[in-house]
Amino acid sequence: MATTSRLRRRYSSIREARHLLLTVAPGAAWIMVFLVLPSLYLMAVAFMTNGPYGLPQMPLSLESFKRLAGFGFLGWSPGNLYTLLRSLWQTIIATGLVVIVAYPIAYYITTCRAKWRPIMLLLVVVPSWTNQVIRTFGWMNLLAPGTPLSSFAESLGFIAPNMGLYPSSFAVTLGLIYNFLPFMVLPLYAAFEKLDLAQVEAAQDLYATPVRAFWYAVFPQTLAGLLAGVVLVAIPAFGMYVIPELLGGGKSLMLGNLVANQFSGGANWPLGAAGAILMLLATFIGLFAMRRIGKRLGGGEQVVI
Amino acid sequence: MRKRTLHRTLRGFWWLTLLFLYLPLAVVVLFSFNASNSAASFTGVSLRWYRRLLSNDVILSAFSNSMVLAVVSSVIALVIGCLIGYGMYRHRHRKLGWLIVLIYLPIVLPDIVFGISEMAFFVQVNRLTGLFQPGLGTMVIAHVTFQIPFVALIVYSRFVGLDPTLFEAATDLYATPAKRVLHFMLPTLKPALISAFFLSFTLSVDDFVISFFTSGPESATLPIYIWSAIKKGVSPEINAIASLMIGAVAIAAVFSMLVNRRQT
Repeated sequence: MATTSRLRRRYSSIREARHLLLTVAPGAAWIMVFLVLPSLYLMAVAFMTNGPYGLPQMPLSLESFKRLAGFGFLGWSPGNLYTLLRSLWQTIIATGLVVIVAYPIAYYITTCRAKWRPIMLLLVVVPSWTNQVIRTFGWMNLLAPGTPLSSFAESLGFIAPNMGLYPSSFAVTLGLIYNFLPFMVLPLYAAFEKLDLAQVEAAQDLYATPVRAFWYAVFPQTLAGLLAGVVLVAIPAFGMYVIPELLGGGKSLMLGNLVANQFSGGANWPLGAAGAILMLLATFIGLFAMRRIGKRLGGGEQVVI
Repeated sequence: MRKRTLHRTLRGFWWLTLLFLYLPLAVVVLFSFNASNSAASFTGVSLRWYRRLLSNDVILSAFSNSMVLAVVSSVIALVIGCLIGYGMYRHRHRKLGWLIVLIYLPIVLPDIVFGISEMAFFVQVNRLTGLFQPGLGTMVIAHVTFQIPFVALIVYSRFVGLDPTLFEAATDLYATPAKRVLHFMLPTLKPALISAFFLSFTLSVDDFVISFFTSGPESATLPIYIWSAIKKGVSPEINAIASLMIGAVAIAAVFSMLVNRRQT
């Protein structure tokens, strides 16, 4: 057969090819059948029409993408676009704040004694080992109306009386920062550990201000770690489901909730699938951009996940 | 002088961040011992919520579902992932780009896309053939799918770290393939296999989103139970079960700290 002879030419022997097939095939087939095939099906669903119980029907159409852009039976409404913009906004804000918190933390860990560093990193990572639902539940308890934090915010006039800090989009941002902080600290720490301190000292000897020293001597050296962190934080944050659902109280839904809600309770599969395609696009654009920039910086590739 | 002030400020910031990271967990644990029903005030220490857990059949079955799911999926993923890891190593000189893409796919795919893809697929196949009834079975399939890459990568990196001449030595000594596996590969892989199993187990117990979308009515795991309890209105029992899970993580953390100490 044509395929066999091609294999024979390509591999030194049939036995080697069979070995490759026997070891790799079960796992490859598993991922193909249980992940690639389902995602391809989901992408196809996005181009079908909504039928009874939210299930997809045959006539192909772009209706679901129009719905995602806000065009419904009652004309255009901004609801879905608000959700998309909110996801983007929350992702940008949370990622930015995570960077601001993670930089000093990662730097501080590298200045501590080598003996303590692994333990300090562990302390940063351990909370993320607990289940996401439990962590978010903890924040619900902390931010609910009547808790010390809420009363404090109330006395400062940040929130209306008896409203509580949760549910709100502030709570969602806080939850996102909490959830993703370790993902930024780890790659930044790896970058700081390799940092060439001679450059920083040179900057100080030349009487550079701390800001300039950071910008010209530290920042370029940690850029690869920062980018890795941004990918690790921004991509999952954009599709977050649990945190907006619990801490946003239905008021600050994000793309992940929009998608998920179309599949639970039989709302509209094609619309949900269209949202999922958007999420996939964002993921692959992020990964691709990261690879390109990482290659240009040199050595950035090894940090990609 | 300035340097010392900077260091002191950073230390303060470090402790503040730790407070930020542990406060939500501490609150859950604290209120699990609360004597009253209230979620806003702490009125006294009691173990009543823990006692209630033991008599709650739904929680007990959610716990056993979680454990069965984690163990079964980890074992399957260990076997399949191990084979891929070895295949990747043995044939590393070939162009296996497609395989790398396939292996990274479960890692990079957003949870929610992963979960609903599988759910949509299982539902439709079930409608056509009656297979894949949503339940523990479909959850095991989904979990194995996201565990395989981690096992494969751990096993692969262990092989890469080995001296390649060891493989030649084993072949030169006329070891049969079965003997090579039994006396050479399994012993050298043991640490990698153990850590791959624990990672798979942790990933499985920790997962909520993918489990949530592939579960059936009878197969709620602990995170799913907690989720629906929160949605229905907070009951103090959630604090108790969540505290037990936090306790398990704390034990794991102390354990890995000890392992870390011994290595250095």
